[in-house]
Amino acid sequence: MFQLLNTVLIGITAGSIYSLMAIAMVLVWRSTRVVNFAQAGMALLSTYFGYEIIHMSGSYWLALPIAMLAGAAVAAAIELIFMRLLLKHSSQGAIASIAPIIATLGLLGLIKSIIGYFWGNQDVTIDSPFSNVGFTLGSHTLALSPMKLFILLAVVFLTLVLSLIFQKTNLGLALRASAYSPEISRLAGIKVDLVRTFGWSLAGAAGGAAGMLQTANGNGTLSPDSLEFSLLLAFGFIAAVIGGLDSLIGAVLGALLLGLVLAFVLTYVGGSLVFITAFVLLLVVLLIRPGGIISQKAGRRA
Amino acid sequence: MHKVKASNLTRLIGFVLLGLVLFFVSNRVDELRVYQGASVAMYVVAISSIILLTGYSGQVSLGHGALLAVGGYGAALVRNEFNAPVWLCFAAAVLLAALWGALLGATAARLSGPYLAGTTLALAVGLPSIANQFKFLGGEQGLIFDIGLPPASLGEFFSQYKWFFWIAALTALIAMWWLQNLLRSRYGRTWRAVRSQSVAAELAGINLARSKILAFTVSAGLAGLAGALLSMSISTVSPGAFPLSLSFALATGAVLSGVTTLGGVIIGAVTLVAIPEVADTLTQSIGASENVIANLPGLMVSGLLIVAVLFVPNGPVEQLKHRQKR
Repeated sequence: MFQLLNTVLIGITAGSIYSLMAIAMVLVWRSTRVVNFAQAGMALLSTYFGYEIIHMSGSYWLALPIAMLAGAAVAAAIELIFMRLLLKHSSQGAIASIAPIIATLGLLGLIKSIIGYFWGNQDVTIDSPFSNVGFTLGSHTLALSPMKLFILLAVVFLTLVLSLIFQKTNLGLALRASAYSPEISRLAGIKVDLVRTFGWSLAGAAGGAAGMLQTANGNGTLSPDSLEFSLLLAFGFIAAVIGGLDSLIGAVLGALLLGLVLAFVLTYVGGSLVFITAFVLLLVVLLIRPGGIISQKAGRRA
Repeated sequence: MHKVKASNLTRLIGFVLLGLVLFFVSNRVDELRVYQGASVAMYVVAISSIILLTGYSGQVSLGHGALLAVGGYGAALVRNEFNAPVWLCFAAAVLLAALWGALLGATAARLSGPYLAGTTLALAVGLPSIANQFKFLGGEQGLIFDIGLPPASLGEFFSQYKWFFWIAALTALIAMWWLQNLLRSRYGRTWRAVRSQSVAAELAGINLARSKILAFTVSAGLAGLAGALLSMSISTVSPGAFPLSLSFALATGAVLSGVTTLGGVIIGAVTLVAIPEVADTLTQSIGASENVIANLPGLMVSGLLIVAVLFVPNGPVEQLKHRQKR
């Protein structure tokens, strides 16, 4: 019984962090129609900025917002420098459909090398602001620690803020309009390029938060080649696709579903099958509901 | 009809001449260059498998490193279990990888663009960890893949590396000759038709799904062959030999070569082999720090990839042709 409860708790915590990554993917997809494979690299870079702040000031609370701001700035810079050039140069020929994918992969490699240059390839550590020891209930230890509780609250808060911006403000409306039809949006007076940059920076901030929370949730180590970030990259993408790349709510649901399924496999089957499970889940969703679990239209692919 | 046959013959003669040139060159240069030559041959096969998939059939795979791993493990298993001759190991690698490719292709045919890219990427992230779990695959250490010493008839001064190079170069030449014939055949034309105008191709009676699955299968087979060549030259096959960065390097090579021109494949292959050495020379000449030494090759690969995608998106060869036309 307690094992079941703990499995659910672990799944929800992991899923909530994936959901931030998935939301970041959805925001970029909805503003530029690019699946950003550099997302995990950007998250990693922002987390390193956070690490620097912690190193200087000793405060996680200062580091978290600064990491998010750094993430937003990095993302905006990438959109301004690379993505605009890319859309101008590589919009025809056989490469057109894959150019954004290849370019974001190149960015991922570039960011990793830059991190390796400045911070080295060894692990650095971030101390969690809260205890990672679980609450006790009677004689049992729950898989819910003060840190995990904070992660859950932080993710819920950020998701709410991002959805409000996206659904209820003029800026969000402009974002959705520019993705739907850039030409018509321009005619309606929306500065499409600027709006896209904004969408990217929102995604960058969400990625930065995901990186800071993920590192504090794990063993606190951070390195350019850390497996945690390869997983954030793969699972963030899988979660976004399960939810349908077009929907924020879908991204959150997809991430929670993924987190729960993986937690159950981890507890009851074994760690070796976690990755293959995620992969199979992705394939099943793609084959049965290509538009994601909450989409209405069937068969939408790109 | 007659003309086609003649040009086919010319190309065959061209390949044979190229083989002879490589043969004489391999006798003149030192060990390191010979070994690098074997790597170039491996990359030629690997990159051409991506060019076939992306440039000709319009699909994208970021997980070809995983298919290389399948080929490498297949070859090593056949060698270790049955003590099979080398060519049979390579054939097994091709068949096994092609089988996986067919399975993947059946899924891939229903996906497009970023969805396919992400799915194959997930495969490349996950497959090495799966190889770790099974005992008969040797876990973290992997398996030994020893093709044996070169035959005694080649003389006692004939080095192991030169033997690797001969095998790799011959394999690559045969594979390339076969592939360029395939791309000129009905299948090649079908793939290009599907890539550039899928609706029109379907109206002309082409079965889209079958054509895409076939392309994925052939591409996977080539990737498996490259994996066997890679494992041969390092004598082992282990999860660590097929990292995510290998998949990315192959994608870089394909973009540098130009995804629509098979002939450009040598550009990408030579670049990928040259990058570590260029980086090494650079760091030594300026006496760089440890961080620079560890990260310069990666930086150069990603930097080249971004520059290529931004400025010569369809490859240098295509770019030149385009300029001449204007």
